[in-house]
Amino acid sequence: MAVISDVVVQPFGKEVYVNRRVAASVFVSLLLIPIGAFSQVDPGVRGTVGSDTAGHPLNSVNSDNPATILSFFNDGKSRFQEVDSVSHGSIMGELGAGLGPRYNSRSCAACHAQPAVGGSSPAVNPQFADATADGATNTIPSFITLSGPVREARFVFFTDGAGNPITTSPNGGVEDLYTIAGRSDAGLCTAAAISQPNFTSAVAHNNVIFRIPTPVFGAGLLENIEETTLLNFQASTVGNPFGVAGTFNHNGNDGTISRFGWKAQNKSLEIFSGEAYNVEMGVSNELFTQERPLPEEDMASGLPTPCKINATPEDHTNFNTTAVLTPSDAVQFAMFMRLLEAPKQSKKFPGGETSITNGEALFKSIGCNACHTQIFSQSPSAITPGLGGTPLFGQWSDLEIHHMGSGLADNVSQGTAGGDQFRTAPLWGLGQRIFFLHDGRTSDMVVAVQEHFSSGSEANTTKLNFDALTTPQKQDIINFLRSL
Amino acid sequence: MPLLIRRSISLVFIVWFCLAISASQGSNPHRAGGVIPKGEILVKGAVPAASDSTTPLPEDGKVVDGRYRNDYFGLVYPIPDKWSEQAAGPPPSDSGSYVLEQLALVDREQRVKAHVLITAQDLFFSALPVANATELIAALRAGLAPLYEIEREPDEVKIAGRTFARFRYKSAVAGLHWRILSTDVRCHAVTFTFTGTDTEALDDAERGLRDISLNPDAPSCVAGYASGENVLERIDPHFSARRYNTIPVRVIIDREGKVKHIHLLSAFLDQSDTIIAALRQWHFKPYLRDGRAAEVETGLVFGTPRTILRLPGK
Repeated sequence: MAVISDVVVQPFGKEVYVNRRVAASVFVSLLLIPIGAFSQVDPGVRGTVGSDTAGHPLNSVNSDNPATILSFFNDGKSRFQEVDSVSHGSIMGELGAGLGPRYNSRSCAACHAQPAVGGSSPAVNPQFADATADGATNTIPSFITLSGPVREARFVFFTDGAGNPITTSPNGGVEDLYTIAGRSDAGLCTAAAISQPNFTSAVAHNNVIFRIPTPVFGAGLLENIEETTLLNFQASTVGNPFGVAGTFNHNGNDGTISRFGWKAQNKSLEIFSGEAYNVEMGVSNELFTQERPLPEEDMASGLPTPCKINATPEDHTNFNTTAVLTPSDAVQFAMFMRLLEAPKQSKKFPGGETSITNGEALFKSIGCNACHTQIFSQSPSAITPGLGGTPLFGQWSDLEIHHMGSGLADNVSQGTAGGDQFRTAPLWGLGQRIFFLHDGRTSDMVVAVQEHFSSGSEANTTKLNFDALTTPQKQDIINFLRSL
Repeated sequence: MPLLIRRSISLVFIVWFCLAISASQGSNPHRAGGVIPKGEILVKGAVPAASDSTTPLPEDGKVVDGRYRNDYFGLVYPIPDKWSEQAAGPPPSDSGSYVLEQLALVDREQRVKAHVLITAQDLFFSALPVANATELIAALRAGLAPLYEIEREPDEVKIAGRTFARFRYKSAVAGLHWRILSTDVRCHAVTFTFTGTDTEALDDAERGLRDISLNPDAPSCVAGYASGENVLERIDPHFSARRYNTIPVRVIIDREGKVKHIHLLSAFLDQSDTIIAALRQWHFKPYLRDGRAAEVETGLVFGTPRTILRLPGK
């Protein structure tokens, strides 16, 4: 039986209990390791201290400027957390409606959860419980685990009858994990009418890729950056000594720079919100007005009729009600995301102030900020003063799409982004994230850095610069990243 | 157990094992050709394309027999001793940026001592108005962040009979030094960026540049030649989809004013086909050099003209 007796106080103030026998064996092991074998390590998810906690509204929103905006934020947050059932009032405690017939999870906040509402994938994957919630009879795919990341699956190519990928027919659309079949509120939408995609075959054929939720803290600040600012930064990197030359994804309707999603495929937070509501939860809305079939269903006869349960759009403007309750869920989700404050950097944790300061200087020196750039000017905001007028600081992203090479390629094309092009992920909030990279393949920051290097990546030179550093220097960079 | 029986059992086991292995391989979908290979970029966005497969392209350089060879630039660069080729860079960008090659000197502990990035910036398509390698280096100097320290202000140096713009700086916090040398070739700034902590290795590698050759067998390059009165006939490409991407295109025009070669730096496949088909029908006023008709290389931009054609002077 383990004897819990030693208390180790972590730098960020959390207490961790260590078994004495384990501690002794670790000590002996450390003595046996040659000094040169030490390497930089990810100190892990940074704890939260008081007001450093993410998930707060912008200061101007918190002071209700303009009047009533705080109530819109709070209402949006509340709706963001609602669990949806298929129809209104069909399941006790599930206040939202319109779920399915296909879905990945049952509320926005279930997946956008770490370290607070609006964040990214939590430590316990809600999709595990979603599979059988309210009587649903889904099989949990092999790539969904209780302690793994929340995952959205996409098939790279359409397949023939035997499940073989047809490499001349790119798919790339989301294959929702689950159906409502078996739920007490599913009506005639039974397992005989609708089935899950064949994930077993897709895994066997390596024809499935994954995406994890992007955190949305500070999203309104990104939405309010002028295009000229982005273009000027891009021009300023011409001739950079790191081999970086990104481009922008563009909105297909008006041709302007789009900026949300892993490939910057979405123009605005409202589009982002409406699409996610439709794709991830199966709720039709005023932006995406029909119930969404799988890509292969859409090529055939669409969703099965018994599974089209509700009138559409299921989410819509609410008439004859109060001002704050009038907008649709999709609009209020977007408003909540837009009004969220950006994550705050810790000045001391992990590793101490000197290490973090040094790490930031190293991060910039070796070329990381050729893409993960820090400062942009902002446009004045017509919504709330906190969204504009002062320089945007610390987003660590140019919002460009860059070639990330064969190692990170997911072979999904969105807009003008090809199979290996991704938006520079904003790094703010990185210290409190559990899973990294678009598919959540690692929880180790060191691995996430290393994964930037592969054939065809714009980050290769910077990664070589990283590999030229000493171990303490690399540790400083990792500490800096975890301080964000 | 008698030896014969034991051997028979062993034989049966071996046969069963082989059959099992064979059966499992036979059911492997990969053998049926149905498994998507890992680590390959199969769904591409905008990529380079050309009207023929024989004319050298900037992105086609290779390491052969210890030398980096690039026929487009007429470049042969002997790789310094113990330096090794690194992962390939990205495809050409829609602003005319190429990563041609990356080589590194790595010690036994896998620490990078020094590396060189060989790049080219097509001066027809740069998002920054730079006319030549000297201006490109000057722009780099002007935009250098305060965290770097200048080791040598930009100047010019003759190497292997060519003029290079040179610039040196360092990062004290990282212990890294940058030595940048850039020269003009075919209206591109071809740049060698040596970076590392080992200054001796950097010195050696920089000295090694004396052994390069940079002698392209190339026509004159003239910015903006495919415009105005020089264009006698033109058929505009009509795209099937509007994508908002910028499509930089280099063309070589022959002595009779016909398009001899087309190189699209960054385009979707359907755009490439459409542009190539259209440009083959263009006809230009023959370019004159010293009063005689001569081949000429120039640039055009299709799609969304976010990248503005610059005039690199000569």
